[in-house]
Amino acid sequence: MTVQFALTGVRHEYRPGVYALDGVDLTIEAGEHIALVGANGSGKSTLLKMLDGLVFPSAGTCMAFGHELTEDALENPELRRDFRSRVGFVFQDADVQLFCATSFDELAFGPLQLGLAEDEVRRRVAEVAGQLRIEGLLDRPPYTLSGGEKKRVAIASVLTMQPQVLLMDEPTNALDPRSQVWLLDVLEEWRAAGRTVVIATHDLSAAEETCQRMVVLSEQHRICADGTPSQVLAMRDLLLEVNLIHEHAHRHRGSAHQHPHGHGHLHPQE
Amino acid sequence: MIPAFAHIGDGSPRRPRSHRSLARRTAETIRQAVAEVLENDEISAAPGLMQRLDPRIKLISIVLFAVTASFIQSVWVLLACVVATAGLAAASGIGVGSFSRKVWASAGFFGLMLSLPATTAWISPGPALVPLGPLSITSTGLLVAARLTTRVAAGAGFGMLVVWTTRWTDILQALTAMHLPDVIVATLAMTQQQIMSLLRTVENMHLARESRMLSAGTAADNRSWVTERIAFTAKKSIKTADDVYDAMLARGFSGAMPSLVRLHAVTRDWVWLAASVTASVVLLGIDRVLMPR
Repeated sequence: MTVQFALTGVRHEYRPGVYALDGVDLTIEAGEHIALVGANGSGKSTLLKMLDGLVFPSAGTCMAFGHELTEDALENPELRRDFRSRVGFVFQDADVQLFCATSFDELAFGPLQLGLAEDEVRRRVAEVAGQLRIEGLLDRPPYTLSGGEKKRVAIASVLTMQPQVLLMDEPTNALDPRSQVWLLDVLEEWRAAGRTVVIATHDLSAAEETCQRMVVLSEQHRICADGTPSQVLAMRDLLLEVNLIHEHAHRHRGSAHQHPHGHGHLHPQE
Repeated sequence: MIPAFAHIGDGSPRRPRSHRSLARRTAETIRQAVAEVLENDEISAAPGLMQRLDPRIKLISIVLFAVTASFIQSVWVLLACVVATAGLAAASGIGVGSFSRKVWASAGFFGLMLSLPATTAWISPGPALVPLGPLSITSTGLLVAARLTTRVAAGAGFGMLVVWTTRWTDILQALTAMHLPDVIVATLAMTQQQIMSLLRTVENMHLARESRMLSAGTAADNRSWVTERIAFTAKKSIKTADDVYDAMLARGFSGAMPSLVRLHAVTRDWVWLAASVTASVVLLGIDRVLMPR
């Protein structure tokens, strides 16, 4: 398998002494579907932004496709174009990602930035709009869309760039159940197409359903577990420690008992 | 344990509120602002005279009318321009009453306020109509005020016609086609998105406060809260701007904003432009030749 990202001893400081990531080592190979799980503030979003070349290590190295990702390196127009065409990032808040006047412009923005020909841009927009069933939204300004529609347009705006790697920050956040199922289907199509997907989430159920590898970030901003979902979800004490599940007593099926719970984590008796 | 007073349905009648709180009024104002933007979108998508025009031609003709109005001296000719804006509004499916109210409530009012000092003998010496010493209202002053107010109203009327009959996206595309720098067009595009997003945030903040308040609060408390929220919203907007820029970078933004928009002016547009130039010349001719000085 081809290594796409290799992070070694990565530390990211917001300001002196305040870490978002602290000593992270991570390798991502082509075609992997990885869930970065951790409590709020554990550094998941920062790690995703680092993989997308939006923030850079204060210490350690972040390699992408054989090149070290640094601010200076991305100043090189050729490298930047190559990197941006390979990696797409869906932000947690769709509102920040939708900055064009219409949904059509949103979908065309990335391909136009990559310098693609007009016909190719139009073809990609039509194709992705059809796949995501948002043809009816293309003429509308993003502020008139519902939360679920915004998320679809935000995802479509990245898919038109046809990236090899898709980074998604809390993709199921603020989605209604139907949209969540739709999103899982989209990710399944990506898995079938052999593309890499990295999602940051604290929804263990979504992570288990969509990914073959689960990386756990602790509240100390370090990677504390890395394995298959079944391996990681079996580490009950660790998940309790990193604040991904909690334990409380309650009544269920007529009897009072106590066991761990997490976002979407199934009841042990089911 | 839920306290007794929090239980629903205790049978006691609700006491009607004597007046709406600041939070409620602000939230309603914001909701109206958002509704107006959405209403503008509907009007601009409806069939009408101005809606059919190429956005570039429309912008050029409206700027031409506004500049012409700024050169006109006669109040009567300026009033004719104001009436013309109302006529164009009617031909574009905009209610004349609502259009005129908005023009006079904003531009007319501010024009009047700005020109009030000019009505006095201190600024505009002349025969006093209302003798108040140096602050006497003079006929010369009234003429100056009427001229300024009608000119502002005519200019604002033309501006509102563009805004109401053109989709925001088309205005941006017209500006792009007219070679306005990319960065300005991009900033304008993002500004509207972010204003709408921030309006919703501010509305929710006010409603969240309202939902936890038992009284309307004192004026001082309200002022203090509003000031704090203004600061919070300003900080949030800076953070949002950073995030939006990151999102642009993530999709390859390198400073340019290429567009797929290709506008095509047709015969109707050129006829309209020729008619606009003719009308401007005729208005200036009437003002300079026929109207008394």
